[in-house]
Amino acid sequence: MGITTPTHDGIAKLTNCRLLRGNELVWGDVWVSSTTGKILRSQATFYDDLIMPDNTIDLKGRIVSPGFIECQLNGAFGFNFSTVLEDMSEYRKRVSDLNKRLVQTGVTSYIPTVTSQTSDLYKKVLPFLGTSGQRRAAEDGAESLGAHVEGPFLNPGKNGVHNVGVLRQAESFKDLEDMYGTSNINPDAADDSIPIKMITAAPELGHMMELIPELRSRGIVCSVGHSEATYEEASVAVAAGATMITHLFNAMRPLHHRNPGVFGVLGIAERLPRPFFGVIADGIHLHPTTVKIAWNAHPDGFILVTDAMHMAGLPDGTYPWTNGEAQQFITKKGAVLLLEGSETIAGSSSILIDCVNNFLQWSGATIPQALKAVTSTPAAMLDLKGVKGSLEAGADADLVVLSDSCTEDGLAGLVVEEVWKFGTKVFDNCTA
Amino acid sequence: MRLIIRDDTEAASFYVASYIVERIKHFDPAPAHPFVLGLPTGSSPLGVYRILVEKYKAGEISFENVVTFNMDEYIGIPRDHPQSYHTFMWQHFFSHVNIHPRNVHILDGNAPNLEAECVEYEAKIKSSGGIDLFLAGIGEDGHIAFNEPGSSLASRTRVKTLAYDTVLANSRFFNDDLDQVPKMALTVGVQTVLEAREVVVIVHGARKSLALQRCIEQGVNHMWTLSSLQLHPHPMIVCDEDATLELQVKTVKYFKSIEQVARAQGFEQILPSKIRTGPSKPALPAQTILVNGERDRHVDAAESESPTILAPQPTTSRLLSVATPASECPIRSRSVSPDIELVPDRMASRIADSSVFRGRLTPGPEVQANGLARVNAVGA
Repeated sequence: MGITTPTHDGIAKLTNCRLLRGNELVWGDVWVSSTTGKILRSQATFYDDLIMPDNTIDLKGRIVSPGFIECQLNGAFGFNFSTVLEDMSEYRKRVSDLNKRLVQTGVTSYIPTVTSQTSDLYKKVLPFLGTSGQRRAAEDGAESLGAHVEGPFLNPGKNGVHNVGVLRQAESFKDLEDMYGTSNINPDAADDSIPIKMITAAPELGHMMELIPELRSRGIVCSVGHSEATYEEASVAVAAGATMITHLFNAMRPLHHRNPGVFGVLGIAERLPRPFFGVIADGIHLHPTTVKIAWNAHPDGFILVTDAMHMAGLPDGTYPWTNGEAQQFITKKGAVLLLEGSETIAGSSSILIDCVNNFLQWSGATIPQALKAVTSTPAAMLDLKGVKGSLEAGADADLVVLSDSCTEDGLAGLVVEEVWKFGTKVFDNCTA
Repeated sequence: MRLIIRDDTEAASFYVASYIVERIKHFDPAPAHPFVLGLPTGSSPLGVYRILVEKYKAGEISFENVVTFNMDEYIGIPRDHPQSYHTFMWQHFFSHVNIHPRNVHILDGNAPNLEAECVEYEAKIKSSGGIDLFLAGIGEDGHIAFNEPGSSLASRTRVKTLAYDTVLANSRFFNDDLDQVPKMALTVGVQTVLEAREVVVIVHGARKSLALQRCIEQGVNHMWTLSSLQLHPHPMIVCDEDATLELQVKTVKYFKSIEQVARAQGFEQILPSKIRTGPSKPALPAQTILVNGERDRHVDAAESESPTILAPQPTTSRLLSVATPASECPIRSRSVSPDIELVPDRMASRIADSSVFRGRLTPGPEVQANGLARVNAVGA
C-alpha cells in the first residue's frame, strides 16, 4: 500500500488550544507553515497536498491569539525612533535589535511612531522604518508595517510634550513632501511601498482637511490627534477620509456636553462611518472608566495602544530625549513618564499585554473582546484585514500563545507564553 | 449476526470504538500489512469517532498503518463545503489522529468522469487487500451508505440518486433550501460492504428502531438494504436500548443472553483468527479451538441457505464455506486460555434423544454441503 513517511514542509500543527475567532474562544487546531509564513487551510493541505504536520504541538488548553499589533510605539528598550545617529547604519542595527526584543512581548507587528520633529530627522529616519516587505523573516522579530508620523502638523494648543517650535501647518501636498521627504510619502516605483503608513494631524489647521483624500488615495491612514477640532470639524475630517483618532481623549478637547469634540464622532447618531481610535490603557493617561466608556461607545473601533517611549523596559531614572530641536529629559518612575521638572505626561513605558490586562480588569470585557483590540481591529484600521490580526487560513502566521491563569479574585491576567512569527516559534516563556 | 445492546448511545459508541481499537491492535498492522477500515459519515458514528480520537490522544491506538475507505460523498458540492463528507471526516476524525492522507480514500464527487471514479474506487479497495472492517450506520429507511430503498443488493460503487426523503432530511444542513441540497451521491454498493471481512453497524435512537427491526427480524429485502447483512458471515450490530423499541422482547433477550453466556464462559464472541490478523498472516492452529458452536451453526445455516450471494462471491464467504480445505475452516481463537478443550456441537446434539425430531432439525454439515452444491448447480 501507499504508505510513505511524511514529507517535511515546515508545517506545525498547534492543537489542544482555544483559538480567538471573532468574539469567541473556540477549541480547534491551527496549522502554520514556516515555508510560506502563513496559516494553512489544513483540510486542503491534507487532501490536496497529502501532507501531515512535521510537528504537533500540544498547547494544553492555552489561548492562541493572532500576534499583537501596536499602533503607537515611540521606541523601547532604550532606543527612540526619533533619533538621528551619526552613523545611520547603527540606527538600522538598533531598530533590528528592538524588533527582536519587542517580539518577545507578543507584539509581532507595529507601526514605529516618530513624534513632531524637524524635516531633517524625518528624512533621515523614515527610510529605516518602512515595511520589511517581502523579506518575511521570522528571525527578524517584530515587523514594521510602515511608519507612523505623529506630527508636526499638530495644533500648538494640544502639543502634549511635543516641541511647539517644530509644529507646522500644511497648505498643500508639497508641504508634506517637503517635510517628510518626497520618497517617504509617495509610492516607490519598484515595489509600490511607502515608508509612511499613518499620519497624525490636526485637521482644523491649514488645508489638512483637503489633503486627507490625497493621503488616503496613497493608502496612508489619516488620524485625528493633537487637535483642537470641534465636533463639527472632526466630523468633516471623518467625512473626508480620516479613519483613526490618535490616543483618544489625550491631547484633544475634553468631551463637553454642548460640544462633544473629537470624541463625538464615535456617536452613533451620525450617518458617517465611525473611525477607529487608539486608547492608552496604562492606568496613567486615562481613568479606567473613561476607557470603558470609549469601548462601549464603539467596540469595533477600539484599539489598545501603549504610546510607549524608549524608556519602556529600562530601570527608573532620568533619560535624555530628542524633542524637535531641543534636548530634554524625561523622568521614569515606575510606569510613569514625566517631562523632567513638570507634571506633563510624556508617553508611557507600559507594554501592550499590560494594557490588555488592564482593560480586562477594568471593563468586564471578555478575553476575545480585549484581544480583538490589539489584533483584528488594528489590522482593519491598517487595511490589513485577513493578512494580520487573523487566524483565518491565508493570514500571516503571527501568533501569540497566552495562558489565562485564574485566582480567587478572577482572572489573574494573560501571560505571553509563546510567540510565533511567520510560522516559526521565536519566543518561549519556558525557555526564556 | 451479533447484536450487542447497550443502555445508551454513549455506551454503544464506546463499545464500537473499543472494538475497533482491539481489532486494529490484534491485527498488528504494518506498512506492508495495513488494516483497512471502511468508514461512514452522519450522526450515528459521531460518538465512535470522538472516542477513537480520545483513545488516540491517550496513546491507546495508532492509525499510522490504517488505510481508510469512506462509504460515500455528495456529487456537485465543493470538496471543502461545510457539508461535504470530506469536511465531515476532516473535522471529526482525520484532523485529530495520525492517519496519513495517502491512506485516506474518499470518493470524489467532482471527478470529471464519475463512472470511472467508481470503478477506480473498487479497484483501490481490491488492491489494498479488501476491507477488514466496514463500520456503518443506517438511515431511518434502513439504508446503508447511500444505498437507498430499492438498491440492488448486488450493487457496487456507483452514482446514486438520493431518495426524496433523504434530500428533505438533508435540507436542514443546507439552510432549508431544497435547491442547495445535492440530489446525487457516489456510494459504495451493498455488495461492496458485504465483501468486507467484517461489518460493524452502529444504530442508536428510537428513530432507527423500525429500520433495525426490519433488518434483523424480517427477511432480506432491497427496501431495507441493511437487511442484506444477514448474508454476511461476520456482521455485528451495536445499538442502544432505544433502537430496540420495535424488536420483539424475545429477540432482545436472545441476543443479550448470548452475550452473557459467552462472557460467563470466559469467551468473547470473536472472529476467526484468519480474519482477525488479516489474509497475509497465518492462523495459529495450535492455539485455536472452536467455541460457541451454537452460534456458528446459526451463521453457517443462514449463509449456506442464502441464494442471493452466489455471484460474485465475497472473499469472506469462502473462508466459511464447507468446500474449503480444512485449514481454512471457521476456527476461532480464544481470548483467554482455559484448560478445557471445547468441541463444536450443534443444537441437535444437545437434545437427549434427537431421533424423535430427526426430520425437522437443521441438517448436519455434510447434508448442507450437498444442498449448497445443488443450489449452485441450479444457479449456474
